[in-house]
Amino acid sequence: MNWSRIIPGTAVGIGALYLLMAATSGAPSGKMDLAAAARIPVVAEGRVKPLDTVARTSLMLISSRQTFKDKEGETRPAIQFLLETMLSNPRSRTPTVAWEYKVFRIENDQVRNLLNLENRPGSLRYSLVEIQPRWEELHREAVRVDNINEKERSVYEQKVFELRQHIEVFLKLAQGREPRIVPSASSEEDWFTYEHFWDAAEREALAQVDPKQFDEAARRLQEYAARNQLDLNALSEQARQDLLDRLLRHEIQPQTQEILARRYPAAEAWSRMLTAYQANKPEEFNQAVADFRKAQGTLPAGAEQRARFEVFFNNFAPFYQCMVLYVLVFVLACSAFLAYPEVLNRAAFWLAGLTLVVHSLALLVRMYLQGRPPVTNLYSSAVFIGWGCVCLGLFLEWIFRNGIGNVVAAVTGFATTLVAHHLAESSGDTLEMMRAVLDTNFWLATHVTCITLGYSATFFAGFLGILFVVLGLFTPRLDREMFRSLSQMIYGVVCFATLLSFVGTVLGGIWADQSWGRFWGWDPKENGALLIVLMNALILHARWGGLVKQRGMAVLAIAGNMVVGWSWFGTNQLGVGLHAYGFNNTLATGLSIFWATQIACIACGLIPTRYWASFGKASPPAENLPVLKRVRRQGNPGIQPG
Amino acid sequence: MSQTAIQTSPDPKPQPDIDVSVARRKQPQTVWEWVKYVLRPIASLRLTVVLFALSIFLVFCGTLAQVEMGLWTTMDTYFRSAFVLIPFQLFVQFGKVFFHFPREWQVAGSFPFPGGWLLGGLLLANLLAAHLVRFKCTWRRSGILLIHAGLIIMMLSELVTGLFAVESRMTIAEGETVNFIDVQRQLELALTDPSNPKFDDVVVVPAWILKKGGRISTDDLPVDIEVVEYMDNSSLDPLEGGANPEGPTFRSAVGSRFKLTRHSEESGAASEKSDFPSVRVRFLEKGTGKPLETEQSDREGVSTLSLWFYWNATSRIPFYQFAPQHVKTGGKTWTVELRPRRVYQPFRLHLIKFTHKKYIGTNTPKDFSSLVQVTDPSRHEDRQVKISMNEPLRYAGETFYQAGFFPNEKGTILQVVNNPGWLMPYISCVIVALGMIFHFGLHLVEFLQRRVA
Repeated sequence: MNWSRIIPGTAVGIGALYLLMAATSGAPSGKMDLAAAARIPVVAEGRVKPLDTVARTSLMLISSRQTFKDKEGETRPAIQFLLETMLSNPRSRTPTVAWEYKVFRIENDQVRNLLNLENRPGSLRYSLVEIQPRWEELHREAVRVDNINEKERSVYEQKVFELRQHIEVFLKLAQGREPRIVPSASSEEDWFTYEHFWDAAEREALAQVDPKQFDEAARRLQEYAARNQLDLNALSEQARQDLLDRLLRHEIQPQTQEILARRYPAAEAWSRMLTAYQANKPEEFNQAVADFRKAQGTLPAGAEQRARFEVFFNNFAPFYQCMVLYVLVFVLACSAFLAYPEVLNRAAFWLAGLTLVVHSLALLVRMYLQGRPPVTNLYSSAVFIGWGCVCLGLFLEWIFRNGIGNVVAAVTGFATTLVAHHLAESSGDTLEMMRAVLDTNFWLATHVTCITLGYSATFFAGFLGILFVVLGLFTPRLDREMFRSLSQMIYGVVCFATLLSFVGTVLGGIWADQSWGRFWGWDPKENGALLIVLMNALILHARWGGLVKQRGMAVLAIAGNMVVGWSWFGTNQLGVGLHAYGFNNTLATGLSIFWATQIACIACGLIPTRYWASFGKASPPAENLPVLKRVRRQGNPGIQPG
Repeated sequence: MSQTAIQTSPDPKPQPDIDVSVARRKQPQTVWEWVKYVLRPIASLRLTVVLFALSIFLVFCGTLAQVEMGLWTTMDTYFRSAFVLIPFQLFVQFGKVFFHFPREWQVAGSFPFPGGWLLGGLLLANLLAAHLVRFKCTWRRSGILLIHAGLIIMMLSELVTGLFAVESRMTIAEGETVNFIDVQRQLELALTDPSNPKFDDVVVVPAWILKKGGRISTDDLPVDIEVVEYMDNSSLDPLEGGANPEGPTFRSAVGSRFKLTRHSEESGAASEKSDFPSVRVRFLEKGTGKPLETEQSDREGVSTLSLWFYWNATSRIPFYQFAPQHVKTGGKTWTVELRPRRVYQPFRLHLIKFTHKKYIGTNTPKDFSSLVQVTDPSRHEDRQVKISMNEPLRYAGETFYQAGFFPNEKGTILQVVNNPGWLMPYISCVIVALGMIFHFGLHLVEFLQRRVA
């Protein structure tokens, strides 16, 4: 038996099987065709997207999860939450079952205190019914905070405000103010919400109210005012009219519904869909979804296919699957250091290759859905940096075949997808639309791609540096061969990083010149990019000048990690962090922890080599990289033979 | 080859130290050798690395400084200067953001550090010296040569931009025709006599003269001007109904009342806000020195002129529209205003339509563009142009960018840039990229070939 083929084959097989399972499961099943409802294309936050995405991003925003637990404690998909939240009659005052779901995540103890909520360790999620008794207090606090400058809010104030916004998100969905469900027949640029239809029907119904009913309503308003000692005459004409309207609107609901059904078939089907779902009638529900799709009218070209695809993408959650597989790759690559290096390294390499394919496809799908270059926001930059690192890692592994590339690919791939996963929690829809200034443009597209790959390469060199220090200091594994290839890797990757970050930075300048006529403005983000270029150039010149040798370069590469951390996340924190009271900013804290770990690695790297487990009394192997000055003085023409 | 090289060397381990090698060298004979002898220390790679490290620190500090300082001030003090005094407080601020330093911590004092011009100049000298002394023009080295040539162009372009580039604005309402630009960073106090129907008589006093204070008196000025106070930035706050604060209040055209107060400079990192300078002056009659009143004069005869009263500066929001102020002297009525330096152009732009598209159901802008008619009598030019995001109009040495619009979307604000060096980064980028691809590519190919062999 040829184990060197069977083991890698099995690893890839298991990976593929896992992916297959992930791709096929997840979609809701049952008599009710929830999948069809999930695929309905609607508009929210300016983008045509499936209802499924609206459900997931809303739930993610208020609950930091894409699923929820119902009253029985059973975990259910986001689309069911959405269908149970949306009222079929947006004017109704009767809450649905969704009001009782514990979905609002309230971490801040002072906010819980304000709302008189018990501490529920482990979950910290509360239902609207639980919040309702203290609604007035919450609202009053939120209004107060709204008048405070965003930068001067305390953690508590910010969290109160956030909770109020989350409830608003919920109410918007419930009352049909979000999403927009039917495209306007007259203009491509406009879509209508469910509430728009209801509004139109109501106005028509009001116009048909006969004068007697009007008088009747006015009389009852008088009565109501008398009962509550309200002086109607103190109100303006407009306010009185509004009160009367509201009273009437409530009374003419049957007429409104009748007009809605007659005039707006799409809205009628939508209403029927929600009623059928909430009454648990599968056939009617499926029929209503089909009717709605028919009545929805002409959608923008390709919207339907994209929505269908996006639902699949949501269910599959490819980046999450990649994260799992990268862990597996890491385990394999680490085991290779302990036993059977050749077979296990090959297994890790091929499994990483499979994961990279999924990672790349997922990136392509995002580009297809958004019609944009791969990097548009912090979330996508994390995913893309991970992709770049894994590509580099596998390329190096392919050349060196010593397991190092596998390890770094797995670690960076996992770390970046993890960061992305956490970024997605706070940002809602990760495929958000771009502001006009970021409109697609050749320079912008090439700039973000290049600069992000430059970040990847610099990070990669840094992790190689960490590996160099850890292997050398704590293990005897940094033997002659490993020492040589690791330092060659660091050198090569730093060269690559210099190229990409420089070109990326300059392309950014060109884009800025195209957009507002200033090639270089010394603003924080630009400076961050410049720092990376300078840092890489410093490493290379220190190397060529013979100021540092292999170990020095590894240490400098770790310092490069700190610079990337600063440029990637730090510069964003500057403006917002400084004036904020207290620290609720997980990014800033995360970054300072990251810096601390890197400084620890640098300190380890600076320990004299006689204390290193790999060297002991022996000095590290000699130079094998080009050093400008020495080469010149010895009359050596170039790189010494390897 | 390398074996023999090591044997001929007196040291068992070759030292990369440049000074030792210089000392061991024979006295230079020819002029060229003398030049090299002098340049050698300047060409040192050590110096390069030190300069890189200093640059990294400077750029980092220049970023931190923008938390408190304006973008332009930071640029002038840190990057476009020879020396800079870096306050210790910067690092305390940094610690406050990232390391939970106490908020009230204040540290006085600062330390001197080389600024951007100096570091850039030294890097340039270092690079040129290195090429003169060390590099030979060989096939293998041509990549490095290209990279460095490109970098020199890049550094020079920043120099050209810093010295010569001018950024201004052009504000046009729909249906309006404009033939001047506002140079935002330079202000002037302008006195205009519109009585002649053919042309306006304009006398301006640049802000740098106003900043010096004192009494300004020249033959060109119809009045003498005594500067009471110059504010680099000020805020204009609306007053509630009957509030009656100390000091002068100002009434806008729609009747709202405002109070003007001195304000610190806007920070660069925090916002896109710009500064609104104001000046308080006394206009004095020529000869007699008698105070002259304007519509906004207070009891002491001090008039307040502010960029706030210049309507283009507030994107023509009706709330901020103020009636012009006048000074009467010698039988003429002069309009006085504080405004960005105005530069008249030989051509004029007429805004036909401004278009602003948003994403469905949101306020996120999707696209804005201005349809303008460019008329240039001197060149007999008269054509329509659409200026939109990322599609500027380059005309007569100026480049017009879509920068903003009126809140009611009935007018456009164009950024107008005149930068003689705008093409240099493009050239530089191509050269450096080619050089890097060649250099690193060559090494990679060689490396791979060796691995295969």
